[in-house]
Amino acid sequence: MPAVQETIEQVRNIDVDQYKYGFETLIETDKAPKGLNEDIIRFISAKKNEPEWMLEWRLEAYRRWLTLEEPTWARVNYPKIDFQDIYYYAAPKNQAGPKSLDEVDPELLKTYEKLGIPLKEQEILAGVRKAGELSPSGDEAVDGEVSDSVYNSGRVAVDAVFDSVSVVTTFKKELAKAGVIFCSISEAIREHPELVKKYLGSVVPTSDNFYATLNSAVFTDGSFVYVPKGVRCPMELSTYFRINEKNTGQFERTLIIAEEGAYVSYLEGCTAPQRDENQLHAAVVELVALDDAEIKYSTVQNWYPGDKDGKGGIYNFVTKRGDCRGKNSKISWTQVETGSAITWKYPSCILRGDNSRGEFYSIAVSNGHQQIDSGTKMIHLGKNTSSRIISKGISAGHSNNTYRGQVSAHRKATNARNFTQCDSLLIGNDCGAHTVPYIEAKNATAQFEHEATTSKISEDALFYVMQRGIPEEEAIALIVNGFVKEVIQELPMEFAVEAQKLIGISLEGSVG
Amino acid sequence: MNVHTSQSRTPAETALIDAFSERVGDLPGNADVAVARDTALEALKIQGLPSRRIESWHYTDIRTQLRSVAPFDAAAGSQPIAPLIAGSTVAAVSNGATISAGQVDGVTFEKLSEKLADGTFAPALATRSTDDLIGQINAAYVTDGWHVDIAEGAELETPLELQNLQKSGQSHVRFPVRVGKGAKATIIERQYGGEGEAFSSSISQLTVADGAEIVWIILRQHGDTSVQFCQFNAWLGKDAKLTLFVVNAGGKLVRQEVHVLAKGEGSDFQLRGINLLGGESHTDVTMTVGHLVENTTSTEIVRNVVTGRARGVFQGMIRVAKIAQKTDARMACNSLLLSDDAEFDAKPELEIFADDVACGHGATVTEIDQDHLFYLMARGIPEKEARGLLVKAFVAEIIEELEDEPLVEALEAILEDWLSAHG
Repeated sequence: MPAVQETIEQVRNIDVDQYKYGFETLIETDKAPKGLNEDIIRFISAKKNEPEWMLEWRLEAYRRWLTLEEPTWARVNYPKIDFQDIYYYAAPKNQAGPKSLDEVDPELLKTYEKLGIPLKEQEILAGVRKAGELSPSGDEAVDGEVSDSVYNSGRVAVDAVFDSVSVVTTFKKELAKAGVIFCSISEAIREHPELVKKYLGSVVPTSDNFYATLNSAVFTDGSFVYVPKGVRCPMELSTYFRINEKNTGQFERTLIIAEEGAYVSYLEGCTAPQRDENQLHAAVVELVALDDAEIKYSTVQNWYPGDKDGKGGIYNFVTKRGDCRGKNSKISWTQVETGSAITWKYPSCILRGDNSRGEFYSIAVSNGHQQIDSGTKMIHLGKNTSSRIISKGISAGHSNNTYRGQVSAHRKATNARNFTQCDSLLIGNDCGAHTVPYIEAKNATAQFEHEATTSKISEDALFYVMQRGIPEEEAIALIVNGFVKEVIQELPMEFAVEAQKLIGISLEGSVG
Repeated sequence: MNVHTSQSRTPAETALIDAFSERVGDLPGNADVAVARDTALEALKIQGLPSRRIESWHYTDIRTQLRSVAPFDAAAGSQPIAPLIAGSTVAAVSNGATISAGQVDGVTFEKLSEKLADGTFAPALATRSTDDLIGQINAAYVTDGWHVDIAEGAELETPLELQNLQKSGQSHVRFPVRVGKGAKATIIERQYGGEGEAFSSSISQLTVADGAEIVWIILRQHGDTSVQFCQFNAWLGKDAKLTLFVVNAGGKLVRQEVHVLAKGEGSDFQLRGINLLGGESHTDVTMTVGHLVENTTSTEIVRNVVTGRARGVFQGMIRVAKIAQKTDARMACNSLLLSDDAEFDAKPELEIFADDVACGHGATVTEIDQDHLFYLMARGIPEKEARGLLVKAFVAEIIEELEDEPLVEALEAILEDWLSAHG
C-alpha cells in the first residue's frame, strides 16, 4: 500500500533502530570452549548432571547432524554459518541453583525488570504470599489448598531462560498442587526421566532437520510442562528467553504434554542485546495433546533484528511442532513476529487423532533488512480433522516477508477440512511480500480453501469510513487495525497488549 | 538446491544423454546451433533429471517418474488430422518433421529446420534456468517445427492450427510465433498422440507486439502411454492481449509449463486451464507470470477434474517487479476429486516487490457438493447423470468464456467425450 504517514510512524517505532531491549547485562558467565564436537556435548551433558541415556541421545543426534546439509530452500540469504565459531554453552555463573530469588544474581533480576518481567512483583501482586516470603523455586510449602486466587486469570507463571540455562521458575509449588509440572527441561530430565524419555523427540525426531538435529545434540535448557489427565492448568505459563552472551548460540528445547482432557496455555517471549555479529537461535518446541486435550501456544518474538544496515541480529531457525495425538485434541499456535534478522520457522500441527483440530494465527512484521520465511504445516492424518490458518504479513523498509505453508490430507483423512487466509501489506517500495502455499489433497472428501491477497487498502472501504466523518489517517489506521485483529484477538490478554505495542498499530479509535 | 552430481544416472537419464551422440549427425544446425545444443546437453548432464528436491519440480519427480524414454522411430510419421474448427489453416509437424502448411493472407510459415541450418535461430535455443529440463532436452534435440509470422495489422478470420502429431516414438519440436503490431488471431496448438509409447517435447515461443490480440488454445489429446513435456513462452508488448486456454485430456506423464512476461504497459494475460485427468495420468501445469512494468493485468483460472488414480499438479507463480505499480493479478485453482485414489497438489505463489498492487490467489480442493447432488436427484435425475452434469458445469463455465461459438462447441464436445469415458 502507499505509505500513509501514521502507519509508517507506527511501523518505524518498531524499526530496528528503536530496539529497546538491546542492552547487555554484564554478568559473569560460565562458558564451554567455542566450537562443536563430542567433547562439548559431553561437557554440556555433564554440566547438566544428565543421565547416561540422555548423553547417548545427544551423541546420536550429533552424529546424525554431521551427515546433514543446511537447508537452502527458504527465501532467505545469509553468509554461511561457521558452526565451530559459536559457544554452545554459556550460563550465568551462579550455578549452585538458587533457592530463592534473593540468591539470584541481582544483575539478572535487573535484566528481567528491564524486560518488563518483574518476577518478584508478580508473585507479590498475586496475593498468595506477602513480600519477604518469596520462594520462587517453590521449596517452601504453602499451607492448605490451592487458593481460589490461583485460578483467577491474569497471573502468569514464568520460566526465565538466560543464555543457555533456565534461571528461575515461579509459582512452581502452586502448579504442583494442581498436579502440573512446570520446570526447566534439565530438571525434568533428572526428576521426571520417564516422561522425558517417553515424549522427547516423539514429535520432532532427532533426525528431523538440520537445525532440529543440531538442537537435539546441544540443547542446554528450555521449559518442560506436564498437565495431567483432566487438569485445566490454573494459570498461564510463560517462558522468557534472553540471549545475552556474545557469540553464543541459544538452543532451547521445550516439551509440553497435555494428558487426556487437559488444558494449558503457554506464552513465550524473546529478546537479545544489540550486537554487530549475528547470533544463532535454534530451538525445538514439541507439543503433545492426547485425547480431548488442548494446548494453546503463543509467542511474541522480539529478538534483536540487526541495525538499520542489516548488521547483526539473531538468526532464528526454529522447529515447532504439535502432535494432536489423541481424538478431539486441539493445538493452537499464535505468533507475533517482529524481531530477528532472519526467521525460519514453521509451527506445525500433525492432526493424527480423529476430530482433532489445528490452528495457526500469525502476524509477521518485518522492517529494516529483516528476512522472514515463516508459516505452518497442517498435516491431516485422522478422520474429520480440521485446521485454520490466518497469516498477516506486513513488510516495510528493505525487508522480505514470505509466508510458506503446507496443508495436506492423506489417503485416510476423510472429511479433512482446512481454511487458509494469508494477507500481505507492503509499506514502501524496497520490500517484498511473498506467498508460497503447498496444498496437497489425497482424499476426495477433503475440503481445502486457500486464499491470499496482497494489496493496498481498498478505496471502497476507505471511502465508507471517511464519509462517516473519520479523517483519512484515522480511517487507514482503523482499516490496518482490522487487518491484524483476527490474530491479535487469539492472544491471551497480557500478550495481546504487548503485541499491540510491539506492532505499534494501536486499536484506538476502532470503537464504533 | 543443486542436485548432487554424484547421484547415479537413472535409465531414463542414460537414454536421454546417450542418444545424443547417435543423433547429433542428423540434427540440423550450423556451428552456433551446435554450441547451443552442446550447452543444453551439458546442463542436462550436470543437473540430471529433477527430483522433488528441485523446487520447480516439487510435485513431479521426474527422476522417479520417468522410468523409460521411448526411442526414436523413423516410421512413426503420420498425416495431418482434421482441424478442431473446420476451415482452419493447418500447419502440421509429425514425428519431429514439418509435413504441410496451409496458406492464408498475412501469415508466413517457415520451416524451423532451415532457421536452424542457417543459425538464425541459435540465440533462441538458450535455456531459461538451470532447472529448465524441457528447455535443455528440447534445445539439444530439436529438429523442426513451424516458424510463424503474422503481419502487422492482420486480422485472421479463421484460426491457425499448429499440429504436433506423435503417435509413438520420440520427437522434439518448436513453434516460434511472431505477431505484428495490432494483429488479431486465434491459434490452436494441437498436441496429438496415439496409443503407442511416446516421448516428446514441444516449445512454443510467442511474441505479441504492441496492441495485438491473440487467443491461443493448447489442446492435448494423448494416449495413456505418452510422456510429453511442453513449454509455452510469451512476451507481451504494450496494450497486447493474450488469452491462453490449456486443455489437458490425456497423457501418462505430462508437464505443461507456461511462462508469460508482461513487458509492455497496459498488457493483459488471461489463462484458463482445464485439466481432465483419469486413469494413471500425472499432469503438471506450472505457470509463471511476470509483471515487469506498470499497469498490467492478469487473471488465471484453472479447473481440475481428477478421477481414477490420476494425480494433478498446478504450480502458479505471480511475480511483480518493483516498478510494476498498479498491477492487478488474480489466480484461482479449483479442483474436484472424484475418486478415492485421485490426488491434487497446488502451489499458487505470489512474489511481490511493488507496494501499490492488487494481487490475490485462491485455491480449493473438494468433492462434488452433496447439496447440489441432492437437489438434482430430488428432481428425478439419476445419480450418475447428476454427477456428470455438475462436473460439466464446473468446467463448462470456463469454456464459455471464449466468445467464439465454434470453439466453445468443439471444446465442450471434448469435455463430453472425456466424461463419457471416465464418468
